Amino acid sequence: MDKKKGVDDTEPGPAPSRPVDRFGFIKTEHSNSPEGILKSRSTHEHEREERRIRKWRKMIGVGGSDWKHYVRRKPHVVKRRIRKGIPDCLRGLVWQLISGSRDLLLMNPGVYETLVIYETSSSELEIIRDISRTFPSHIFFQQRHGPGQRSLYNVLKAYSVYDRDVGYVQGMGFIAGLLLLYMSEEDAFWLIVALLKGAVHSPMEGLYQAGLPLVQQYLCQFEKLVTEHMPKLGQHFQDEMINPSMYASQWFITVFSYSFPFHLTLRVWDVFLYEGIKVVFQVGLALLRFCHDDLVNLPFEQLLHSLRNFPEEATDPDTLLPLAFSFKVSSRLVELDKEYRKKLEGPSASSSSKRFQPLKSRVMSRASSHVSSSPNVSKK
Amino acid sequence: MARRAAAWEQGGDEYDYLFKIVLIGDSGVGKSNLLSRFTKNTFSLDSKSTIGVEFATRTIEVEGKTIKAQIWDTAGQERYRAITSAYYRGAVGALLVYDVTKGATFDNVKRWLKELRDHADSNIVIMLIGNKMDLKHLRSVAQEDAASFAEREGLSFIETSALDATNVDRAFQTVLGEIYRIISKKALSTDDSGAGAVKEGQSIQVSAGDSSSVSSRCCSF
Ligand SMILES: Nc1nc2c(ncn2[C@@H]2O[C@H](COP(=O)(O)OP(=O)(O)OP(=O)(O)O)[C@@H](O)[C@H]2O)c(=O)[nH]1
Ligand SMILES: [Mg+2]
Repeated sequence: MDKKKGVDDTEPGPAPSRPVDRFGFIKTEHSNSPEGILKSRSTHEHEREERRIRKWRKMIGVGGSDWKHYVRRKPHVVKRRIRKGIPDCLRGLVWQLISGSRDLLLMNPGVYETLVIYETSSSELEIIRDISRTFPSHIFFQQRHGPGQRSLYNVLKAYSVYDRDVGYVQGMGFIAGLLLLYMSEEDAFWLIVALLKGAVHSPMEGLYQAGLPLVQQYLCQFEKLVTEHMPKLGQHFQDEMINPSMYASQWFITVFSYSFPFHLTLRVWDVFLYEGIKVVFQVGLALLRFCHDDLVNLPFEQLLHSLRNFPEEATDPDTLLPLAFSFKVSSRLVELDKEYRKKLEGPSASSSSKRFQPLKSRVMSRASSHVSSSPNVSKK
Repeated sequence: MARRAAAWEQGGDEYDYLFKIVLIGDSGVGKSNLLSRFTKNTFSLDSKSTIGVEFATRTIEVEGKTIKAQIWDTAGQERYRAITSAYYRGAVGALLVYDVTKGATFDNVKRWLKELRDHADSNIVIMLIGNKMDLKHLRSVAQEDAASFAEREGLSFIETSALDATNVDRAFQTVLGEIYRIISKKALSTDDSGAGAVKEGQSIQVSAGDSSSVSSRCCSF
């Protein structure tokens, strides 16, 4: 790391006196988190929240011991509760439970440490360059070379070694950063592994592999869904030559963690980790639906502007998420996925449905075996 | 500057020409900040890396004509070319940016030129930009080297600072002016409006259509 001095370094250090919101983001005049959320909660609300936490604690058991049992018995209760939002104080733990990352961690003791300490990655410089550009307004990540930035670096470097096909891709930092606000480095690392290698849902490494194949696929599917659910808007997009890569790439690549209000990001992640990528489509559709009547009247430039700057009302999770869940997309997504694959592979290949069976055991053993054998060599 | 804001807010699309421009170059060289300096007169020390593409416009006068620049800012990381290269198509101008304090970003300029040759229209106007010239004590690419390279490759060249705004307007103005002169000459000689990206008058639809290559690429199943 060059210890050069430059304008880059002249920013004032972290000023502890600067006011932060309840998530630790430094407040600006028009802060990311609307004040509505911060407004003093009534005692009634407070009690309700307490009750909710107690329920959750019971569901999880000590250190997560009852979780699996509970999920097996009452998956719908779990789903409903998660959609209402995981209590913030339990979020880190629950995320690890629902993503399957806990199991990966337990199956691979010491692996993370090895990756961090002994391995070098060709992406190191790229990662360093982006560290201060990831959640720059959060106190945890603000301080140059502080604990937040160091953890972020470690996790990203470890992953880039663990999976050399993926390496480091811009956007991963936002995911790692988000996770690090709720769990340790090692836990965050395994959660990323769980997501990208597909511990519970279908693997998402294609979001970051060369050619960004999964980004292309998701954007395509999203475009189809828009047309099917909002024909008028779909037509308008077509007339104005707007396509999803102009506004939705980052929705998928960072799972809404790049430029949306943080409290929305968290609620999306609660559902995303439990139900899978489908919620990103649903939230995307909900955003469009919410602004539909404005969008259909806007010409190209304003349209694009609006698609990148949704009004605050649109990003309130308690409005947006119910709207999102009203879009039934699961089965259609599976169909679209098949069509897309067929199209890509041509008529010959057809045995590609593997990615659609998130066989936990299969994927986990693959992930763990290639770690334990040699962390240096990723698959192939 | 009032004009900048006004053009956007009214959506008042009064311009003679609309030019589609792309900003390319390695990650971290300052593309997004050049764009925000030019279109909003803002700069940020810790700006997020661009994921995919961003978009902004500004209208300026060139030789008495009103020219609207429709600028696509792309993610610099190599992996993102899968998405961003589609945006080169139909662009009439490209600002190819490197960082004067990072030799590697200048070395990569050749690769970016190849990218443009592979994906952009052959008559695209390219300007080489050495950004961050304010960091004098960190400079690692000599101005003369870049200038002679640019000359060999037939590119215009300028050094800028998005931070203190030096030459930012001039860079954009130069490119837009160059495009304008080529277009107007062409229009005279062939009576054809030249590159597909450029139309006179109320042409926002058509011009937005320059991104058609982007939309058609995707879903056709
Ligand atoms: N000193 C100085 N710093 C600059 C200048 N322009 C940009 N920067 C800084 O360089 C870093 C990267 O700037 P960006 O504009 O985000 O770079 P980019 O080329 O858009 O990067 P990608 O989006 O990742 O491709 C930021 O920290 C900026 O503050 C400049 O002219 N002078
Ligand atoms: Mg950028």
